[in-house]
Amino acid sequence: MKVMSGNEAVALAVKLARVGVVGIYPITPQTTIIEELAEMRARGELSADIVRVESEHSAMAVTLGAAVSGVRSFTATSSQGLLYMHEMVWWTSGSRAPLVMVVATRAVGAPWNIWNENTDFMSERDSGWIMAFASTPQEALDLTLQAFRISEDPRVFLPVMVGMDGFILSHTKTNVFIPSQEDVDNFIPPRRQPYVIDPETKESMGNIFPPIYYMKFRQSIHEAITNSEEVIKEVGREYNKISPLGDYGTLNVSYKLDDADYAVVTMGAWSLDAMEAVDKLRENGLNVGLYRVRYIRPWSEKEIRENLGDKRAILVVDRATSLGRGGPLYLELKSTLNIPIKGVVTGLGGVSVGKRDFYSLISRFVEEARYSEVGGVEWYYPGEVKEVELGTPRTAH
Amino acid sequence: MTMRMMGMALGNNVALIVVAGCSSVIQGMGPKNSYGYPALNIAFAAGSAAASGMWRAFKQRNKDVTVVVWAGDGGTADIGFASLSGAAERNENFIYVCVDNEAYMNSGGQRSGSTPHGAVTPTTPEGKKENKKELLFLMLDHHVPYAATASVGYPHDLMDKLRRAKTIEGFRYLQVLTPDPYGWLFDPSRTAEVGKLAVQTCYWPLLEVVNGRVQVSNESLHCLRKETRRPLRDFLSVQGRYKRLNDQDYKELESYVDYTWDRILKLMRT
Repeated sequence: MKVMSGNEAVALAVKLARVGVVGIYPITPQTTIIEELAEMRARGELSADIVRVESEHSAMAVTLGAAVSGVRSFTATSSQGLLYMHEMVWWTSGSRAPLVMVVATRAVGAPWNIWNENTDFMSERDSGWIMAFASTPQEALDLTLQAFRISEDPRVFLPVMVGMDGFILSHTKTNVFIPSQEDVDNFIPPRRQPYVIDPETKESMGNIFPPIYYMKFRQSIHEAITNSEEVIKEVGREYNKISPLGDYGTLNVSYKLDDADYAVVTMGAWSLDAMEAVDKLRENGLNVGLYRVRYIRPWSEKEIRENLGDKRAILVVDRATSLGRGGPLYLELKSTLNIPIKGVVTGLGGVSVGKRDFYSLISRFVEEARYSEVGGVEWYYPGEVKEVELGTPRTAH
Repeated sequence: MTMRMMGMALGNNVALIVVAGCSSVIQGMGPKNSYGYPALNIAFAAGSAAASGMWRAFKQRNKDVTVVVWAGDGGTADIGFASLSGAAERNENFIYVCVDNEAYMNSGGQRSGSTPHGAVTPTTPEGKKENKKELLFLMLDHHVPYAATASVGYPHDLMDKLRRAKTIEGFRYLQVLTPDPYGWLFDPSRTAEVGKLAVQTCYWPLLEVVNGRVQVSNESLHCLRKETRRPLRDFLSVQGRYKRLNDQDYKELESYVDYTWDRILKLMRT
């Protein structure tokens, strides 16, 4: 066990996974991942080739270039960097290149904001990547290690993105169990990939596909994502064997949900605050439970229906938003379940939301749900803010 | 033409990175591919960055493979410039080939940074106002181990340069003038001829710069003195894209040629 931040945990996972090439570009709050990797390399602890590229678009490109040429590769970014990289994020999944990226989430400009928000990560969910989200530095380590194995599994052959809350996880230090190098070597088999760009194989990738072939190819990615659910559980069970804290046998995680009438759905670090609120609410007689989404893609309709299908009403708290529509978790759940679901959008731009806020949100929700059918989206501001006035912008003369 | 010459010069052990452009299409329809080389097709701006990853992967796998980025002038002068500059600055170990037909030909010939002054294109119907971006000098300012220019009109010179580039470690840049009959408006049968005229009129210098030492190629030696240069008109008059050229435009192009050779002479002296 060692005390470390989420960023340090990720850097350690990259080393343990014996990554060959890392593409790096600085952006807060991911930067300490790449600094840690550079220092490890300077100390002789890391054999990976680190490429200090000139932009995030190039960070994904360099990582892809190495990956399709046969080497395990990795990159990391946040917010603006991820958005700048967006074209290459799609190019990578479209190329079916197994590789791993970590996103330390951060609000997206304009205007500038460096603090935590999950919208950047969530905005990539159409792209064809497997996407997992950590709730602790331990999970950041564990999910990153599993990501390498999942991406290189022949039933998947897709890139995997692991997200974690910027600053809250990336920079906060907790106790982390580190599996041994030997255990990790046995856990992650030698790299496999669907093709290699190599004069020996003469395979090529990415030229023009006529319409029907293109659509079939895209469907193959869709199928790979839905099939990956089984792979993820398998890999998770294997990982549980090398980590005493492992609970990776399912994609998502339930907390006091079995006998609950009402459920709260969250993702990421504040789930632990929400869990404390759930404990307190139960003490006070409210029958609630928590469902923590860990995998955004694949979206396990099966697990969700099994765990949430019998609830009277559900409160979804998103730290992200699809502007004009609501939080992504809320939207995904609404398309999965036929139950009253209410969405709350909060915590954007780093707005601090703690267990007291969760307590008040959930108890208010349960009150509402008892007497009416809940629904719709609420933007929640904690603390003293009672009302937010949205003024009309002044017009220039 | 250049692809064929490259194949003859570099041999079998090559991996290509092809950025968006005509060559993305010439490969033929997926899932098949007509190139004899393995090719990673990639988004427009990403070629040099992908190459930076690819050569390192081959090194780690102990494979001796020449990595070549194949890009047009749009992908080099404009959208791909940042990644090109980054790779050059880091002295990444691959060969960058820019096939320069002076416009975004794959999408219909719109102007690029590499389009010369006065040229008519679909987005510059009155002729481009700015001069051609000086990519070679920009690459030299990155202090790359090898940079050169070539023309499809002189295939042996082109192949010699590629063979020499193959023996050098680090970032190598080759810009090949590839006249485009459909964009420049001349009969396709005259492509090699136009490639020659560009050099003979000194519009397109043939050079090789190894570790900063400038060597003017044989076919361009006569350009070192203004009196021995062939009149620029001989090159421009063959091309329909210069139909609108007035006297002022012509003078602008002539002084661009003068200025280019002044720069070359200056480089040779340092």
